[in-house]
Amino acid sequence: MVKYILKRLFQSLLTVLLVVCVVFVLMRMMPKEYFFTEDELMKFTDQQKYSKLEAQGIMDICSRCHGNGLLEDGSACPDCMTYSTNPNQGTGYVDRPVLVQLGDFFSSMFEMRVFNAKGKEVKSIVPVSLWQWLGDRENAFGELKEGYRPRLCFNLGKSIRLEKGQYVTDVIAVKMSVSMSIGLVSLAISLVLGVVLGVLQARYKDGLFDHVGTGYTVLVNAVPHLVIYTIIMIAGASIFGLPMRYDATAAEPWRTMVLPVVCLSIGSTAGYMLWTRRYMVDELNKDYIRLAKLKGLSDRKVMFRHVLKNAFVPLAQYLPYSILLTVGGSLLVERFFAVPGMGPELTNAISRYDLNLVQGIVLLYATMGILGVFLGDLLMTIIDPRIKLTGKGDVR
Amino acid sequence: MKKVLSIVLALALLLGMASFASADELTELNTYETQARELETWNVHYSQAAADLNVLCNLFDGLLTNDNHGNLKANAAKSYETPDNGKTWIFTLNEGMKWINKEGEEQADVKASDWATGLEWVLNYSKNDSYNVSMPAEMIAGANDYYEYTKAMAESEGADAVKALDAGEGSKFAETVGIAVDDAAGTITYTLVDTLPYFPSVATYNCLYPLSAELIEEVGVDGYRDITWEDMWYSGAYVVTYYEFQNQKVLEKAPNYWNDANCKRFDKVTIKMVESPATAYQLFKEGQLDHVTPLDTATLQDIYNEKADAEYKANLVESRPTKYSYQMHLVYAKNLEDGETPDVNWNTAVANENFRKSWYYGLDLTGYFARTNAINPLSCQNFCYTGNGVAFTSNGTDYTQLVRDELGLQYSTENYARLNKELAAECKAKAMEELTAKGVTFPVEVDYYISGASTTAAETAKVLENIFSECLGDDYVKLVTKTYTSLAPEVRTPRKASFYINGWGADFADPINFLGQETYNDPQAYYSNAYSHCNENDDPDLVAAYQEFTGLVTEAKAITGDLDARYAAFAKAEACFLNHALVIPCSYEIGWELTKINNYTKVYSMYGMQAYRYVDWETSTEAYTTEQMAANAEAYAAQ
Repeated sequence: MVKYILKRLFQSLLTVLLVVCVVFVLMRMMPKEYFFTEDELMKFTDQQKYSKLEAQGIMDICSRCHGNGLLEDGSACPDCMTYSTNPNQGTGYVDRPVLVQLGDFFSSMFEMRVFNAKGKEVKSIVPVSLWQWLGDRENAFGELKEGYRPRLCFNLGKSIRLEKGQYVTDVIAVKMSVSMSIGLVSLAISLVLGVVLGVLQARYKDGLFDHVGTGYTVLVNAVPHLVIYTIIMIAGASIFGLPMRYDATAAEPWRTMVLPVVCLSIGSTAGYMLWTRRYMVDELNKDYIRLAKLKGLSDRKVMFRHVLKNAFVPLAQYLPYSILLTVGGSLLVERFFAVPGMGPELTNAISRYDLNLVQGIVLLYATMGILGVFLGDLLMTIIDPRIKLTGKGDVR
Repeated sequence: MKKVLSIVLALALLLGMASFASADELTELNTYETQARELETWNVHYSQAAADLNVLCNLFDGLLTNDNHGNLKANAAKSYETPDNGKTWIFTLNEGMKWINKEGEEQADVKASDWATGLEWVLNYSKNDSYNVSMPAEMIAGANDYYEYTKAMAESEGADAVKALDAGEGSKFAETVGIAVDDAAGTITYTLVDTLPYFPSVATYNCLYPLSAELIEEVGVDGYRDITWEDMWYSGAYVVTYYEFQNQKVLEKAPNYWNDANCKRFDKVTIKMVESPATAYQLFKEGQLDHVTPLDTATLQDIYNEKADAEYKANLVESRPTKYSYQMHLVYAKNLEDGETPDVNWNTAVANENFRKSWYYGLDLTGYFARTNAINPLSCQNFCYTGNGVAFTSNGTDYTQLVRDELGLQYSTENYARLNKELAAECKAKAMEELTAKGVTFPVEVDYYISGASTTAAETAKVLENIFSECLGDDYVKLVTKTYTSLAPEVRTPRKASFYINGWGADFADPINFLGQETYNDPQAYYSNAYSHCNENDDPDLVAAYQEFTGLVTEAKAITGDLDARYAAFAKAEACFLNHALVIPCSYEIGWELTKINNYTKVYSMYGMQAYRYVDWETSTEAYTTEQMAANAEAYAAQ
């Protein structure tokens, strides 16, 4: 089992690395103009554009002409003519090779940050220059003597557009906590409600309750979510006086979370109802249930001790995944109620070409996704010992 | 005794009215932005985005600002003068200005040398990534040299060496750049590359904002580049007390503000991020916002036609125009769909003056305006290239009035005055004859691109298609609407569009800020190089028209002593540009809104970044009625 876990972890790590590399390369294959807003394209000179790309590590100042675009004899520098519109002069900038950029990304994943006495960061040192900094001991310890404190940090770079200058790890940490706080409450509500209602639907199959439950499931899945959210927002505000926007500064912040939680729970409750009912009905039709009933077990014992326990196994597989994915928030709900969570962050980052943020979020999602599936598999083996992840297990 | 009593009673009445009036005003403002317009940086020197500057202009005081009529007004500088007719400008600072942190604790004095530190930051290649560098580099003596010096140094010695540069005495900056500061006297003297009479308007812009050297010392160069609201120092009317990305920003009155006695501020301003204008309207109805500007077309029509929320009909007020002047920018070197092969048919047609004039006189854009302003579409009509309110003559006449006088066109509330169907038909007939002889086939395909993600743009494009069809005829032109996901790489660079409708807003108060974007064979002319590509169409008539216009602009630009003569000369140049229909003036953004703010008391700046200062606003706890706002407008006009 330990060997299997280590193997899965190694495979997961490789998959995450692969995903990050692919996204990294794809984002950098975009035409340069994608890295600017229309406003910037309108106002920036070419010089400004290249300068900005250089600051982002996408371009380098041309080493052959030292950024002049001209060689010493006054002729155009051939190395930096790729984007030049002037046949007599280069731009002074050349593309930084993508593999070098990828190397920069991985080599700076851990960096030393130096904080002053007030706790404000004054310097960040990537491993390459860390040795230089430490090598100059007089300087290094001189800085420390002034009350500076070094700290080793996990680094995914800084946001270059959405939250310009903020560390991606900080941005993600803050947003994750907001999304998770709403997501976990919603998950708990929908799991409890969905499973209980699904059990009742199965118990009273083809009865009124089952039909109402099925109707609810169909309705939630058929009506566009935006319509449902709009109705909930207007009804919640006008009938119950609930705030229409998330507001952490409100006198009672929990009230501002009610409508987003309700919206998030509506869909997933329907999902849990649907699958619980389906797995329960499947189990109810099996021979061992008939046998249990023939042996005189009460309906209640059959339903909870046998049917629900077995029906819950496939649901449990996705539970860790669902819990971990609450860090991702919900694009629609968070945008609709101005929840400052992770939901819209990836689409925002992609649409604004915030490379570092995209990479950071993709890394997080890939890790959470793979870890969620892995933990789900483990959970299944715990709930149902017949399932073996290695070798041949019993047939269920 | 009776006299004294009557005076006391009158005073009591006045006091009562005053207290009643103040009770009627909002002390806290709840405003909004849509989520697409979230702030990107707190570094005022680094920002070039309106969404940032709309907030940041409240947190720092520039040398000058604008009043509600658009006039320049003293701010951090109590006075300014030029001893040599506009080549040297001396600004004298107010006393007692302080840098404070978000808790309101004093950090340092605001000194004249802070303006040198700020300018050094902007011009330093490794500190500011060349953001905001173009205006000072073009205007201030030695600024471009210093910028180039830092750039060369970055390459030869590395970024850290360049970041270590400062604006102190004896520095390279002090030696090179035309700025002299005297902390004791509180004066800042700018020496310019030429006589620039409009330079004081540049002093409202963030490229000339102050920066404390002590702050840089505290947070480091990289720390200031990525400064946050929590760490930065404030010198303006407000400080930020809360910020949550894509949720809200809370600004509170800066304590011990140097100008507290002379300006009216809100206790608190909350800027809420909303998903869409429709959400903003819902929040306004719930009392969570104090305005919704502008109302989306569907909501506006519902209210106006009393189909929904009819109680708000009496509160509908027409917005004041934004600073953007919208034009149909024609493309003179367009390519076909492959982005490489020249679209000879279109390029030949658009170079023909009669073809362009048939658009200029023939397109009735009223239906297009109604997309922005369904109630009073003709409010949006625009006959000029330069925006309203950018520059005024010595007798207070708006520069655009001079242009309209030259054109012989005046705005009318009754009809779209530029529309001249007979002249358009005449131009069309001539164009068809001349262009047929040149091998142009009709109808000429006109490719118009819109964002594929915008249903509003798609609906507006349908309206435009109908206008082209009805006004110019299907036998003549055929408007084809196409979509993009990102304009620049997909459309603009491969030159796939026949024309664009886009707006330009000025950064400073001079027509050159508009007309300078359209001149011929000028590498600095943004629209000529990035949109119209007029330099690449060798049609002799087109070239002659552009050269005539460019010559007139050059002549006007050379007039620096007499502003009235300068504006008159620019008006002639602009009229020449429009008479040749080299662009087609299109519209202003004037929608309708529901508001508790008297729009006529807000800073009215048709250039720069001062328009969103939450200072001296008159408000009401109830939404203004249409009549009340009309009375506000009348009172404003009478001032």
